[in-house]
Amino acid sequence: MPGTPYPNKQMHRIAYTKLSERQIADKLGTVAVSGPTSVSPISDVFAGKSLRIVTDKGPALSYTFGRDNRLSLVENGGSAVDAGCGALTLNSVVFFSHLIPGTQRGYAVVVDQDTNLATVFELWFSGYQDNREVQREIYYGYVEQPGQQPPATRHVTTNRVEGKGFYWKQDNGAETLEFYPSAAYSHFVELSRLGGELGFCGPSDYIKINDDAFIYTRTECEFSGIFTAYVMDLNRVEQIGMRLGFDASDKLEYYVFRGKGEWLGQLAQFEKFGDESGAPVPAAAAGQTPAKGARRVYRPFLTMPKMSKAEVDAACAKKTAVFAPASGPGAMMGANRGPGTGWLAGKGLTLRYDNAPAMEYRFDDAETLNWRKEGDNSWTKARYQAWESMPGVILFGHLLEGVPNHDGHSIVADFHQGLVTCFNGYLNTPYFANEAGVKTLFGVIEMEGLIPPKYNRHHFTDEMVGRAVSQNYAPGLTSMHLYSTPHSLSWIIFTDTDAGGLEWSGPAAYVKIRDGLYFLYWLEEACNGTLGTVLVNLHTMRDVGVGYHCGAEGLSMSAVGAHERLAGRFDVLRFYQVKA
Amino acid sequence: MTTDSTSTRRSFLKGGAVLAAPLAAALPAAVMADEGLKARLARMEDEAAIRELHQTWLRQINTGASDATTSLYTRPEGAMFNQAVRGIATDHSGQPDAIELAADGNSAAGRFDCAVETAAEIAQDCTVAQMARAQGGGFVRRTERRVLKIEYAKVAGVWVIEKVEFALA
Repeated sequence: MPGTPYPNKQMHRIAYTKLSERQIADKLGTVAVSGPTSVSPISDVFAGKSLRIVTDKGPALSYTFGRDNRLSLVENGGSAVDAGCGALTLNSVVFFSHLIPGTQRGYAVVVDQDTNLATVFELWFSGYQDNREVQREIYYGYVEQPGQQPPATRHVTTNRVEGKGFYWKQDNGAETLEFYPSAAYSHFVELSRLGGELGFCGPSDYIKINDDAFIYTRTECEFSGIFTAYVMDLNRVEQIGMRLGFDASDKLEYYVFRGKGEWLGQLAQFEKFGDESGAPVPAAAAGQTPAKGARRVYRPFLTMPKMSKAEVDAACAKKTAVFAPASGPGAMMGANRGPGTGWLAGKGLTLRYDNAPAMEYRFDDAETLNWRKEGDNSWTKARYQAWESMPGVILFGHLLEGVPNHDGHSIVADFHQGLVTCFNGYLNTPYFANEAGVKTLFGVIEMEGLIPPKYNRHHFTDEMVGRAVSQNYAPGLTSMHLYSTPHSLSWIIFTDTDAGGLEWSGPAAYVKIRDGLYFLYWLEEACNGTLGTVLVNLHTMRDVGVGYHCGAEGLSMSAVGAHERLAGRFDVLRFYQVKA
Repeated sequence: MTTDSTSTRRSFLKGGAVLAAPLAAALPAAVMADEGLKARLARMEDEAAIRELHQTWLRQINTGASDATTSLYTRPEGAMFNQAVRGIATDHSGQPDAIELAADGNSAAGRFDCAVETAAEIAQDCTVAQMARAQGGGFVRRTERRVLKIEYAKVAGVWVIEKVEFALA
């Protein structure tokens, strides 16, 4: 019986070892001498040649390439150092990488032999509080040509890759889906390494070589810290690149690779026409000079509050806010939710779930309901809000005061079909007590004058998978969802110039309510702990929903609502089908 | 610029001496004849000082150094007029700038049609807002036409700002 493709723990749940500088140095020692491994034959394009690479604000690198993947490097006129290297070519572009023995540094270099332009990535370990996270600084320059003036142009950062997505298969068998919905971050699904359940994000660089060829990098910050860089030819859908870092078991990965892929589609870009600039997120705050290698990195796991069950209980007892006034905390996320409905006021009904106790309701008015689990004698009063997203389909939410895990229900009830789906949020989850978990409850509506179906139910769907939808919650508060796998989504935050900026992702699920109407949730696991639920109406391009969150400030349920735009769709469903 | 705002301006300018831009324009000879040379010189000096104060204040607001404007006010709390203001630009489609000196020469009022850029901070109570702030954003930016009304006072021989108000244009 072969094993499953899934890891013991997903990337965001791994307690990565805090490697010491000594441990890292020891692991790099041998590899620095031998150079990166490669499945594909290493190129000897530079064998026997010498190159002097001059960079604008960085080092001058004098290389002499020998046979058998050896090189000698002189940095800034210093002493020569011998190292092992790996080089690959893609048309006119050469990509090579090496470490510097005796250090925790190395380089990845891209040379376009047609233009003699070069981009140099200096790489190093032990440059951040987590030593294993590979740091990078980018230098733009050229290969010096004796007797010739330096070229006037350089490779440049760009947004021309933004919105693209590819399936890649490396020569070592590693298969990934890689999405570039941001000009500063990227989103990747590890198909072969992790089974493709979830997608993850990392800060990225996008650099233009020419209209066909671009350089991409990714650092798996908040995870293993592994660095990946490659040159990709968008037309031929080929790549050459490298991977450097320590995997989840602290094994050093250092190899160059060649890969081929498939184009998956193109999402819309939202910058002004004519804006092709890259690196939209400044490396440092306005007026400050960025340190070497600096860039903005979203570190949600580092910064999120991590609470115990006792702390959660105390926080919930201290303050519970349910649909706070429009000007209160969290109000911005609901600014575009649209008008609520009072249709439920005065009604009574039972939501009979297949896999959970039935819930009985009496609605006093448009914002007050009474609930009890079937069989209980007493009612509990709760504040709620409701919206009719599509005729006959009402979303409403409320907290279940008094239950041990501080549950909250986000419910979509289709009164034309007699069907209901509930995302049942709860706290006291295994990793951090304030991190929300969710159960999906399917069932029917029982009320006077309504005959529900006996067998039909709402159901999970993959119809949203691959789509991207932007959300404008309020002026200045705009994001985009990329529904990248059947079990996760990514969210991208736009910059002031409407470029894709910081990005993160979490587990998700999608339920089809009607054609064009989807109820979905995402969990901000290892990232604020929020459960977000929205009902996406593709007819009106508005979503409305409920956010459920616990932090040091207490427990809250708040309205979420946005004006949306379709941003495109990637052709990815075929990668998630179970094949015989 | 609407008719209403024009009439408001006329009302604003009633009474007292009016020094409207271009302020370097020569006054009629008849007026000069009516005023003593010393009074004329004093008014021109006051006018120049207020204009310089205004330019200094604008420069500090537009370069993000609004904290530095504290010294330009009669009271430090006066500088807290609106911390959301990020820039003020002259509205060249509006009325000319005007500075009205009080008869006693110890106070003045300025009126400037302008475009005000504001950046209101979005509360950091959701992931989207926190991520926007992490990348240097997280503000609601707007540019609106306003009438900048400033009251000045002469304290120990130095002109300072007494009050700033952005009125609807």
